[in-house]
Amino acid sequence: MAPLQLSHVDSGIIGVWRWEAAIATLIVTVAVTAFSFSIPPLWPLAPLLVFIAGILRTWWWPPLSYRHLRFGVDDTGIAIESGVLWRSRIALPRVRIQHTDVSQGPLERRYDIGTLKLYTAGSRHTRIELPGLRHEDAIALRDALLAEGAGSGV
Amino acid sequence: MASDPDFQPTLRLHALSWVFGLSGAIKQMVLPLIALLFFNVRDDTPGPFGPWIVPIIVAAVAIRAVWVQLTFRYGFSPTGLVVRRGMVFRNVRHIEYARIENIDTERGVLHRLFGVAEVRVQTSTGGKPEALISVLDLAAVQEMRERVFSEAQPAEKTIEAPVENTLLHLTIGELVRHGLIDNRGMILVAAAFGVLHEAGVFVINRQLVDRVLESSSAAGLAALGLMMQIALGAITILGAIIAVRILSVVLAIVTFYDFRLTRVAGDLRARYGLFTRVALTLRTRRIQAVHQHESLLHRWFHRVSLNVDLAGDSGGDQDEGDNSRMKTRWLAPVCPASAAPALIAAALPSLDWSTEPEWHPLAPRARGRIFRKTALWSVLILTAPALWYLREGAIVAVLSCIPLAWMHAHLYVKYTRWALVGDAMLFRHGWLNRRLTIVPRDRVQTLSVEASPFDRRSRMASLYVDTAGASAMTAGIRIRYLPADVAERLAAALYRTAGATT
Repeated sequence: MAPLQLSHVDSGIIGVWRWEAAIATLIVTVAVTAFSFSIPPLWPLAPLLVFIAGILRTWWWPPLSYRHLRFGVDDTGIAIESGVLWRSRIALPRVRIQHTDVSQGPLERRYDIGTLKLYTAGSRHTRIELPGLRHEDAIALRDALLAEGAGSGV
Repeated sequence: MASDPDFQPTLRLHALSWVFGLSGAIKQMVLPLIALLFFNVRDDTPGPFGPWIVPIIVAAVAIRAVWVQLTFRYGFSPTGLVVRRGMVFRNVRHIEYARIENIDTERGVLHRLFGVAEVRVQTSTGGKPEALISVLDLAAVQEMRERVFSEAQPAEKTIEAPVENTLLHLTIGELVRHGLIDNRGMILVAAAFGVLHEAGVFVINRQLVDRVLESSSAAGLAALGLMMQIALGAITILGAIIAVRILSVVLAIVTFYDFRLTRVAGDLRARYGLFTRVALTLRTRRIQAVHQHESLLHRWFHRVSLNVDLAGDSGGDQDEGDNSRMKTRWLAPVCPASAAPALIAAALPSLDWSTEPEWHPLAPRARGRIFRKTALWSVLILTAPALWYLREGAIVAVLSCIPLAWMHAHLYVKYTRWALVGDAMLFRHGWLNRRLTIVPRDRVQTLSVEASPFDRRSRMASLYVDTAGASAMTAGIRIRYLPADVAERLAAALYRTAGATT
């Protein structure tokens, strides 16, 4: 897959991921606080640790994750590379695309970002997601992938 | 795409369809019904309908079954098969002839008594059958097959006398071997234990235990001496094992009696069953992968088993009352090892088998990694229980892991081989249970190269070749411990051929 030119997605996704992580941190911290309040050995260390870990996760992880998320499109199909520690590169020929979704959550809408979801007839990778494209780019990419993908899929 | 909206299906189900609808529904509710009956008989304060609750439910189900039968129509429109269900909530389904892949039938004892069959019409869409028609008489099924497949392939009008070559026929002797190898009886026994346990049979009854312990036979057993007791115990265990094996043999014969794999006009057809006759069509262009499985027992008998993945068997949600896609698609539940290549070639006729594939090994450092990983995990898992049960003996148990781990790593690497031929990818793995998977290159769905931190340290990667028609665990090919550059090249080569528009 060497000739494939890989590029990064829109950097706005870092903001989306940070917000998501921040919200998750808040929820988990509140839950842990409520839970450990009555258990002396856990209080107040456990919620504090959870909170610090959450902050680190919120601040450091999204840019790392962003740096390792790349994709490339060629005549055959699309390749997506992701993962910071466990890295994977998945290649999907466009004739194998069954159908596609472009979805947008509330946070993604704020940053004008969409997630492209590609469905295959496979068994393990039935849905392949590419987050972090600008919404119009995601739609353009979907149209480009579908333009000639008139295969039977199986 | 229904170009003939005025078409009205007129053909009806067999007159006794409601019997099968009723028996099918009752089969599903049999446990709750028995429980209801039981509680109502035992309880002093029965529910609102008292002892009538069960007959009322059965009557309601019977009325529904009759209603379904009366309102069901099917017919052959110029463009496709039309199936209409219901009267109040009417559902008309139109299935184009060209898209119909399979017309499978299944016939239980009751079906065979009345000369009818349950028909499943399948398309390549996937998931559940497009139409489940229960039940039709055999002449109607034959007519449906002829109408559908002659409409689907108008060029091949000479369908009147399709030549049917038998590729494999399993004799009773083969089925006995299959039963011995397969040992499905064990699963049945385990299930029976589960049911009995749920039913409270194993609740220890003090009085019963005391009575057994004080009985004369228990006293006689105690007087036998240690050697005799051990021998008796061994004989009991041996007897149980033999009984389970015999049960497996009986099961194998019942399930696969008169297994016959035939080839009709390029497609394969499998028929089997003593009481429930199953007839499956395996259209060769739907076959996604062929798996060959060879356990230790298979090798003792010089046998292998072969099954295929068909497009449309995976994914989708559970359909009510239909378990056809949960079944393994057998090419041969058991067959002589020498017959396997011919059967695989029959299942994948588009492949070229003239050249012997060139088998490649895993990464050179894979053995060391597998050894370290296996040794570490087994020591981690075993140490605590070994210390608890064996105390000083623990060191022997834990240390013995190390040569075993080395043996595992050695054999793992020795028996894992992959090959890329012109139009297929082949993969062998496993040393105790040896498996061979063959995926035609034009059936590959996605390629995925994955590397864990450990993989990256030793410049290795895993390659996943995904195909349709199987569960996530068994699908396609998954090769671990490949050299990273080989995995990349392999994925690139497969990606190009998979993406070539046919």
